[in-house]
Amino acid sequence: MPTAENYLKPEVINQIKRLDLRAQFIVKGFLQGLHASPFHGFSVEFSEHRKYTPGDDPKDIDWLVYAKTDKYYVKKFEAETNVTGYLVMDLSRSMGYTYRQELTKFDYSICLAAALCYLMVHQQDPVGLLTFDRKIRHSLKPKARRSHIGDVLSLLANLKPEGETDVAQSLIQVAAMLRHASLVMIFSDLLADPEPVMQSIYRLRHGGHDVILFHILDEAEVTFPFQGMVELEESETRQRMALDADGFRRSYLDEVESFRERYRRECFQAGVDYVPLDTSMRFDRALGEYLMRRSERG
Amino acid sequence: MTFLNFSLLAGSALVALPIVLHLIMRQRPKRLEFPAMRFVQKQLDANRRSLRLRHLLLLLLRAGIIALLTFALARPSVKLPGAIGTQEAPVAAALVFDTAPRMEYRHENQTRIEVAQELGEWLLAQLPERSEVAAIDTRLGTAAAFSPDRGAAKDRISRLSAAANSRSLAETVEEAAKLLKTSQLARKEIYVFTDLARSAWPVEEAAAMRQQIESLGDCGVYVLDVGVADPINYGLGEPRLSAEVLSSNGSLSVDTELSCVGDPASRGVELYLLDLDGNEHKRGEQSVEAAPGEMRPVEFRLGGLEPRVHQGYMRIVGDDGLAADDTRWFTFEVKPAWRLLLAAPKPAARYALFLSQALAPEVYRRRGVARFDCQTCDLAELSTRSLGDYAAVCLLDPTPLEPAVWKKLADYASEGRGVAVFLGRNAMPTDSFNQPQAQELLPGKLLRQARRPDGELHLSPRDYQHPILAAFRGLSGSIPWESFPVFRYWELDEPKKEPKKGTVPFYAKHPSGRSGKGGLSPFSADGAAVVLHYSDGRPAMLERTIGGGRVLTMTTPVSDRPNEKPWNLLPVGEAWPFLILADQTASYLVGGGKQHFNYTAGQTAVLHLEKDQQRRAFLLISPDGMSVPHPGAIGRRELVVTTTDQVGNYRLLSGGTGEASLGFSVNYAPEQMHLRRLGEAELSGVFGPIKYRLDKTRQQIDRDVSAGRVGRELFPALILLVALFLALESLVSNRFYRE
Repeated sequence: MPTAENYLKPEVINQIKRLDLRAQFIVKGFLQGLHASPFHGFSVEFSEHRKYTPGDDPKDIDWLVYAKTDKYYVKKFEAETNVTGYLVMDLSRSMGYTYRQELTKFDYSICLAAALCYLMVHQQDPVGLLTFDRKIRHSLKPKARRSHIGDVLSLLANLKPEGETDVAQSLIQVAAMLRHASLVMIFSDLLADPEPVMQSIYRLRHGGHDVILFHILDEAEVTFPFQGMVELEESETRQRMALDADGFRRSYLDEVESFRERYRRECFQAGVDYVPLDTSMRFDRALGEYLMRRSERG
Repeated sequence: MTFLNFSLLAGSALVALPIVLHLIMRQRPKRLEFPAMRFVQKQLDANRRSLRLRHLLLLLLRAGIIALLTFALARPSVKLPGAIGTQEAPVAAALVFDTAPRMEYRHENQTRIEVAQELGEWLLAQLPERSEVAAIDTRLGTAAAFSPDRGAAKDRISRLSAAANSRSLAETVEEAAKLLKTSQLARKEIYVFTDLARSAWPVEEAAAMRQQIESLGDCGVYVLDVGVADPINYGLGEPRLSAEVLSSNGSLSVDTELSCVGDPASRGVELYLLDLDGNEHKRGEQSVEAAPGEMRPVEFRLGGLEPRVHQGYMRIVGDDGLAADDTRWFTFEVKPAWRLLLAAPKPAARYALFLSQALAPEVYRRRGVARFDCQTCDLAELSTRSLGDYAAVCLLDPTPLEPAVWKKLADYASEGRGVAVFLGRNAMPTDSFNQPQAQELLPGKLLRQARRPDGELHLSPRDYQHPILAAFRGLSGSIPWESFPVFRYWELDEPKKEPKKGTVPFYAKHPSGRSGKGGLSPFSADGAAVVLHYSDGRPAMLERTIGGGRVLTMTTPVSDRPNEKPWNLLPVGEAWPFLILADQTASYLVGGGKQHFNYTAGQTAVLHLEKDQQRRAFLLISPDGMSVPHPGAIGRRELVVTTTDQVGNYRLLSGGTGEASLGFSVNYAPEQMHLRRLGEAELSGVFGPIKYRLDKTRQQIDRDVSAGRVGRELFPALILLVALFLALESLVSNRFYRE
């Protein structure tokens, strides 16, 4: 019987078909791995009292205080400082690629997004969902209700990565959409020109949003495991190239590394969390990143 | 180049196969979807070039495999110079064996000659039927000839032994090539059995050898190395005696050097003398540290020897690989003190004082150890005195003499004796000296007295080659000749008669410019040679030979006292150069340097006989103890022995009453014993453009001889190349089309 921590492995989580269960297992596995409760300090615990003003939810009136003081006070909870999170999913065709892993980049992103959604709602953080290819395709408003998890997961489960993408344009659109400062979590392979993408991320930052950029590549895209003579075909453009993989590996890996390094450097300068991932990595890295960011804001 | 299966070469058309396959059925690479193409784009061009190159390399390798395979199956072979295309055709073969004494070097219980014999007999059996074979060795005087049959050649090889008198291998190979030239057979082969000692291949003889081999046209030359790669040997060099004839009162030094090849070690060297019965008596022993490549001197001194011919030997204690150079033999003769007659004007004793004291100092005379017994007499007594008792006569500042006296002295000299004339102030008038009888003895006519009162003139030897000056050789830079000025001397004129054909007249340029002929002042005499010069270039001492005798004429006296307007100051003061000069001059006159008792193998031994030693026959006892009669001759002053091919001490006995006992020693020539081997580069230098093969084992000989006759088959090399190509192709294609 696998332990809960095993669910952090993509190959294990692949065996579970229902996305809600996947998310649940991932979060459970993650939480079990932590020594201290992540809910401590920013949970739904009581924070202070304030006078009731019309418009406040009457459910929040503290009747015990009323009994003592004959005045209406409402409880103020930590939840009031909650973070509004947006899961921003890249729907490009390239996200549906894997060479030899159990999960495609898209599957990996969905699992991760679902787990984050699950985790956030459990913390009373409203979470919304945005998907994009050339432009924004789906949008779910952020809510902290438990029933909202079902909506998000249902939408996630029905998404299909197909068609071309324009990350920069879509992110600009996202920046324009969001009114309040939020935590924007982008799931993309970023296989586009980095310059406009970074410009759009700057826009997000300028709008006061915190950004976590989950850069998800396939394991094959990171390690280039091919050998001998191969003909490679681009997923979106269908462009083909024949090459000698062995002779090519070193320069390819250098190129990928410099690509990632560029994002790492520029994101650091922009105050964006850049999380490079590949589909062979455990999920806890991504979740840990979120929690850290959440803690800072709390 | 020839092919065994020429038709198979047509198979090389199959080379087209991989080319066609390459063009038509090019293997498609595995197609893979890959989104991250943007990382690939940049390096794509370089990669494409490398891909194209690999394709081409693969194609070349595949085509090469087919081409090489068909080429190899056609069995090509390369014909080397002299190849006749078949193993069985008869050949004219010369088997040349080095039989120098150093081939006796023993290693693994076999001498080099034995190894050569074994290999030679095997090789003989390998030669094709009806071959002409000559077995030739380096022994001097053996003629090269083809053996009548193979049995005779085998017999000759089995009888090979080391020869003391050996010629060089280069010379012997040259003779072998000359012999092969007489053969009608097409294929000619020379097999040289050698230990590759450098001394066997003198560079100066190699050119003639090369010329003869080249004149043969195609001739296979096989150098068969029967030597030892790192020999270890200790050897003695040529024995050198301070004198071969010495006075009984003198002492003898015998020196040589210890050489070493291989490991350095300390070796004992002993010297033995033999008594009349042939018993050995050790007279000296030394321990010498031998070092490789260095000659360590060994010296023994012998004294108290009785007057007779002595023989002995030096030997290294202990055994080594080569015994032949461990022992060196020597012979010398001790004679009673030589009687010299010093004739001078009255008072003779006064004139003879300096010379007699120099030759036989009073102290020595009293102790009886003087080498010379000097007697003085007036010049007037010469006509009546019997000169036969004296070994030499010296005329000190002679006055004019009667023609009969000059004649008597000339006759005396022609009997093989020595005469010295020290001209001085008394040689006036000169008519007596210039008369024909005197000129029989003197090297030239007395012309005038040359005066150099400034004291700047002195003796000045040009070189020290003459035996009289040999003793000065080691001191040549440090002899104070300037301290002994010569104020006056006699100038001699050229004799009127033409010089004999073959004699070289001596001319000396006169510094004053006075010249007799064309700026040169000739001082020449018939058969005369200048022994010693003055510093102005004129002759101070001249030598002339009459019959078997020697006449020395010094143009300044050695009898002038320093307080009587002397002609020179040679004998006064710290006159050690004069003492040596006088001693050496007297030794030379009495014939101390005339007798030779020590020879190298193969040399003709010539022994001078005194009158009392002349016999009708002698018995020659060779080193191995064999005695053979040897003809002598009454009245002849020389005894000649030509059979000196054994090393050791030879004795000559006359037998009967008044037995005359003579002897001589024969040693190996030192250069024949050098074991230092030729390097491959040096051997190539010896053979120059001639292609030779250096072999050591039977397999190597078999292979090379076969290659030499048939040519070299390329099949193994080609198959190796095919395997190499296959491996390369497999490597490249595996990397290329890896799944």
